Amino acid sequence: MPENSNVTFDLECRQVTKSFGDFTAVDQVSFQIPTGSFFSILGPSGCGKTTLLRMLAGFQHPDKGEILIKGKSVLGTPPNRRPVNMVFQHLALFPTMSVTGNIAYGLKRRNVKREEIRTRVADVLKRVDLPDAGDKRIDQLSGGQKQRIAIARCLVLKPDVLLLDEPLGALDLKLREQMKVELKLLQETFGTTFIYITHDQSEALVMSDQVAVMNQGRFEQVGTPQELYYHPETSFVAGFVGDSNRWEGHIDAIEGERIQIKTVEGESFVGRSIVKHQLKKGDSVEVYVRPESVNIENPKNRSDLPNQCRGEVISVLFDGARSQFLIRLPQTEGEISVAMPQTGEHAQLRKGDSINIAWAADQCLCFRRSSGNHDG
Amino acid sequence: MRRSFKKLFIAMLAVALVAVVSPVEAETLRLLTWGGYAPKEVIEQFEKETGIEVKMTKSNNEDMISKLKATGGSGFDLAQPSQDRITSAQADFDIYKPIDLSKIDASQIIPSMLAATKKNTSLDGKVYGVPHVWGTSGLVVNRKMAGQIKDYVDLCGPGLTGKVTYRLKRPTLIGFAFSMGEDPFAAYSDKAKYEMILDKVEKKLIDCKPNVKAYWSGGDAMLNLMRSGEAVAAMAWDAGGWKLNKDMADITFVAPKSGALGWIDTFALPRKTKAEEAAYKWINFVMRPEIAGKITSSAGNFTAAKGGDQYVADKLKAQFQESFPPADVDNIKWYPPVPPGLEEIEGKVLDRVKAAQ
Amino acid sequence: MDKSSYTRFSLWILLLPFVLWLLLLILLPHVDMVSISLRERVSARNYTFSFKNYTEFFIEPLYWRTFVRTAWMSVLATLITLLIAFPVSYYIAKMMRGRLKALLFILCLIPFWVSELVRTYGWMILLRETGLLSTFLQWIGLSDQPVEMLYNDVAIMIGLVYTSMLFMVVPLVTTLDSLDDSLIEAGYDLGGSNWNVLTEIIIPHAMPGIVSGCIVVFMLSLGNYLTPILLGGKDSLWFTEQIFTQFITRFNWEQGSAFGILLLILSSLIVWAGLKLSRQSFTNVMS
Repeated sequence: MPENSNVTFDLECRQVTKSFGDFTAVDQVSFQIPTGSFFSILGPSGCGKTTLLRMLAGFQHPDKGEILIKGKSVLGTPPNRRPVNMVFQHLALFPTMSVTGNIAYGLKRRNVKREEIRTRVADVLKRVDLPDAGDKRIDQLSGGQKQRIAIARCLVLKPDVLLLDEPLGALDLKLREQMKVELKLLQETFGTTFIYITHDQSEALVMSDQVAVMNQGRFEQVGTPQELYYHPETSFVAGFVGDSNRWEGHIDAIEGERIQIKTVEGESFVGRSIVKHQLKKGDSVEVYVRPESVNIENPKNRSDLPNQCRGEVISVLFDGARSQFLIRLPQTEGEISVAMPQTGEHAQLRKGDSINIAWAADQCLCFRRSSGNHDG
Repeated sequence: MRRSFKKLFIAMLAVALVAVVSPVEAETLRLLTWGGYAPKEVIEQFEKETGIEVKMTKSNNEDMISKLKATGGSGFDLAQPSQDRITSAQADFDIYKPIDLSKIDASQIIPSMLAATKKNTSLDGKVYGVPHVWGTSGLVVNRKMAGQIKDYVDLCGPGLTGKVTYRLKRPTLIGFAFSMGEDPFAAYSDKAKYEMILDKVEKKLIDCKPNVKAYWSGGDAMLNLMRSGEAVAAMAWDAGGWKLNKDMADITFVAPKSGALGWIDTFALPRKTKAEEAAYKWINFVMRPEIAGKITSSAGNFTAAKGGDQYVADKLKAQFQESFPPADVDNIKWYPPVPPGLEEIEGKVLDRVKAAQ
Repeated sequence: MDKSSYTRFSLWILLLPFVLWLLLLILLPHVDMVSISLRERVSARNYTFSFKNYTEFFIEPLYWRTFVRTAWMSVLATLITLLIAFPVSYYIAKMMRGRLKALLFILCLIPFWVSELVRTYGWMILLRETGLLSTFLQWIGLSDQPVEMLYNDVAIMIGLVYTSMLFMVVPLVTTLDSLDDSLIEAGYDLGGSNWNVLTEIIIPHAMPGIVSGCIVVFMLSLGNYLTPILLGGKDSLWFTEQIFTQFITRFNWEQGSAFGILLLILSSLIVWAGLKLSRQSFTNVMS
């Protein structure tokens, strides 16, 4: 069917809704995932992403809406017959079986011939780079190896969609970094559609073709990692994806895309509004400025950026590539984080030094103030 | 180090020993007896009169022997086994002590019974028992529903499928042997003959199995089966039959045609009795006619006390006379002492009967 | 006292109750039993060394048949208990949460607050010919005469299963509780049916609990005395009853001891065979 129809989406959700009592866990979520892509759902814990994933796997049933896999509704299909497989948060490898037993489990359920099972298990083990692990017990594997076996156990079944429920959460930082890359590579070599849920923005940004940011049961924004980072559409996305300095204030004046903002603390900024927010003069707004978009000005060669401040370094937070200065703005006692340039240009700055900082109006994003669901 | 440990160990051992030994006080009489033989009223009167505390343990023949065998005859000061079970147990396990007949007030005891018991409980010229309570075992019959039952073998008659109950114990074997025309008591001394008789009884009992509702083991179970009507006839003691008769006139004790089996429960001294004097005091006390009457009322059986029946309620006397017309009294088969070794043969027969399908 | 001897001393003190218990209550009686079982009565108070009591067990078909019957009934009781207890335990461990779970667990415990004797009498009241169940059957018209449900092997089985239930439920609930729900979900997710998930995932995981429950229930049934005696029929023989009879009514301690030792050896052999069959190790099961 997929060949001769015009369906190009492996998975499509339409207005999917799920409530538990009064609590709406997933609220009219719609999205489409093109074949062979790596799709992440990013959100804080309790945002409904796990419920959504469990509905895709079939462990929960939506109250309303439609779930289609390769164009066909799967709402009436129980989990054991859906063409999706899931990598669980704690992997859920069967400890009573060997590695081969784990991988062969699904194939046996499909009555695949013994010979074929053997070749397919060997093949998938080779592809996850663990060709000799077949006879090992699960508790003999390292964290990363378990991860790969859990994925191999699903991929050997050639599912239309692979669901991953924060599988990297249990790993230590180093291994997690490494597995991010490996997962992405695995997805590319197998070409299977991955749906990956996580609360870790770095995981989502690094691996995904598309990321959906989820909050309070809804998708705030769906886009490429770059779009989310550079062009957040809601204050939640701006605050959740990447680091930001945040102020609250109101609009003093509007000139086309440019708007003049006065913060509660009394700073004046020039910023850019998101078109769909349709801000008016006097509206309460939230303002976001990323630490890495703030320039530390060279006193001899000042830029003509519209937002200019002078402040005192109150802390140097050294963290390699993610090092920051914490700077106090003297007029208002407000604080602002500024990324340390990687060129080493300002590495000599110390606590107590006075510096000028500046940023462009485009880097200063304004959103209508939401009613206090800010997170992160 | 080793010294102090040893001291500690000895100290602990001593404490443990004191804890175990101390509860035994001089003036208690530990009585190992049958239910009903030492009613509360009698115990209280004895305690008041003598100041000796009586501790009573209910038991039966096998249990008494087992208990005394386990301790080599200690733990109790006075026991009440049946007269036929004394000599073999004494010969095998040495658990009793001869009775000093001079300390017994013989004038209170019916002389013929005393003489018979003396004879039956003698071993190597020493007497081990004096008589106390006697009675018979025979049939307890629901006359309305199974009036045709007159003898043990009638229990195996037609129309009684699942309706009768008896014990799987030696009195059943003996009773059936008599009702089948044999004389097992005469064969006591002839093992081969006895085995032959038991073979016949075994076959009979196996054939009889469909009629058996259950083999009862406790007296209460038998009473329940009869009372509820689940069983219409049983092999049991006379006292149980009379007890039922009080509530349900249809049920009573019937002396079998081939003769009821007569037993006499005695007083015997465990070999390591700690209160011998108290035991003699108890024996002489309960053989007083008025006390004996009380025990008869409580146990349902008559005693060997002279004149004891004067103090017994008329009802029981009437029941006795109904169950035992004068000819039947003469026909009572009194258990002679069991020679050692017979019980093992009997045990196997009983096992085989139980196992037979 | 130097330090090392002091620690050795305190270790001794700590171990003493256990060692004494083991020595006085377990080891000595068994040694004594073995020595008694190897005696044969020649005449009154005169015994000689002999294996007769053991050979008797194998020569006399009654005895070993009784043992086989007892072992077989115990195995059956164990299996029935397992079949009933498994769904119950699964329900308690996996379907229930919080307070209700504790409540259900306690409900399983309640029958054990009364003595075994009382429980068995309870069944007798229910099952006997003039009992509740029979009366009820007549009342609703399913039977026109009293039905006897007591005094047969089914009654023994009911009594044994009822008595053993808790000892199966406790280890099962414990092991099933430790089974991660996501393993069950993974079982379904990878295409398993209910049957596959049960046999491939739940049962292998619960195996230590199943085996330890089975061992306990089997040994309890084998060693049960009251239930078979009170509920059993006129044909029902139980091996412990044989032992009791030998000791108490036959005064044949020699034979009784031999039976006791044989029961110990044979039941250990059966448990060992069960462990081999289920590929579990004793230490694994009992930890």
